[in-house]
Amino acid sequence: MIQALLIITLIFGGCLVAQAQKSAPAAMVEVAGGTFVPLYGSNNQAVSVPGFLLDKYPVTNSEFEAFLAANQKWKKSEVKKLFADAGYLKHWAGNAEVGEEAEKLKDSPVVNVSWFVAKAYCECQGKRLPTVNEWEYAAMASETKRNAASDPGFYQRSLDWYSQPNPKYLPPVQQSFRNVYGLYGMIGLVWEWTSDYNSALIVGESRANASLDRQLFCGAGSTGASDVKNYVAFMRYAFRSSLKPNYTVTNLGFRCARNASVKVTASR
Amino acid sequence: MKSSVLLFSLLLLVTVFSCQEQKEASCCTKPATATATKSTVKTVSGTLPDMSLYQLSSEWQNQAGITQPLAQLKGKVQLVAMVYTHCRYACPRIIADLKRIESSLDEYKRDDVGIVLITMDPDRDTPEKLRQFASANRLDPSRWTLLTSSHDNIRELAALLNMKYKTELDGEISHANIISVLTTTGELVHQQEGLGLDPDETIKSIKAQLQRI
Repeated sequence: MIQALLIITLIFGGCLVAQAQKSAPAAMVEVAGGTFVPLYGSNNQAVSVPGFLLDKYPVTNSEFEAFLAANQKWKKSEVKKLFADAGYLKHWAGNAEVGEEAEKLKDSPVVNVSWFVAKAYCECQGKRLPTVNEWEYAAMASETKRNAASDPGFYQRSLDWYSQPNPKYLPPVQQSFRNVYGLYGMIGLVWEWTSDYNSALIVGESRANASLDRQLFCGAGSTGASDVKNYVAFMRYAFRSSLKPNYTVTNLGFRCARNASVKVTASR
Repeated sequence: MKSSVLLFSLLLLVTVFSCQEQKEASCCTKPATATATKSTVKTVSGTLPDMSLYQLSSEWQNQAGITQPLAQLKGKVQLVAMVYTHCRYACPRIIADLKRIESSLDEYKRDDVGIVLITMDPDRDTPEKLRQFASANRLDPSRWTLLTSSHDNIRELAALLNMKYKTELDGEISHANIISVLTTTGELVHQQEGLGLDPDETIKSIKAQLQRI
């Protein structure tokens, strides 16, 4: 009988823990609202970013594996090409499992995922992908400053990262760079999907014609930019503008965001 | 002992069941209900190619206020462009371009070629506003479908159409100008990017698709 009770307690406890992990935003960090000037904004005007919650870490391989276990339609064999290209989870040996390399990869950020599946993952958690503005705003922070936009040393670190090839095994998310908000890996780990990655038109007079892109190589690509020295942001915007929603890339992962609860009730 | 076993199994059942229930409610309720309520769409998507845009399960409203999935556009070769009705500069020109293509397809039946305008400004472009816009621009309702949906659904479709757009602080929308050609099953086969271009290639692509009907 005692044994039986013990089993029940275990099952029930396990369920509670599972619930707690899902509902508590313990793994999220609040990013206080503020304003910033995006690299490609409206005439270099500052935009305001309302406060929001952002995952502390990018989503890991083991977390993504758990998502696939509950969502058959995103398994490699099931997914439609419209929603993820042929490279989807190509670093996993299994159809829905990391496989042989699981020990080395379980805490590494999941990569080779499309925008569609990243979006589905976040929605499944009651979250969403961050917007470009939210992501860029949160990524401006160094270890000590929320806005390290004018700190050359901070940019240099990103440049150093960009100039290095991808390691064979991406490091665990917990070991990556931690900024002042307590967010890990905003630089130095992987690139990340955003909800409106297809919002940047890298042209001078952006309303005119996005096909101008083709003529705006090299210097001319910077005509609409707010800070021509910010190579790091240039690279991110350029990379985003090269993506399609079913693309999967070996160093592109994601993390999820959520509206700060106060804002939701206030605005609705 | 017997009763304790019974009690145990009963408790076990209750706990397991309650856990199951919570689990289902907490994860992915959205897609689950979406497929449940849209069984008609699902049967349609069974016959669609993998790259068909009609695989999207999002719901849209047309200028008559009728809710429809994208899959309802199936069966016609569709010309698709994204616009917004407050747009003063580029959108009138893209509609002029579409009409130019339309006039070169006069020999084809209304049932074979459709033209779809998707708004990028759902807050202002209600179905009623779209209807007014269609009649002001003399868009034949048997050929032209104007659609609106949520911001998320529009952003998703735009991504698949390689459309980039952004709402500026003044309420104007910066956007790419693209006319896309979709096959009768919703696959993207041709895009013309820019304004006032020679539409020959686009017309050629439409005619090639029409020959397959």
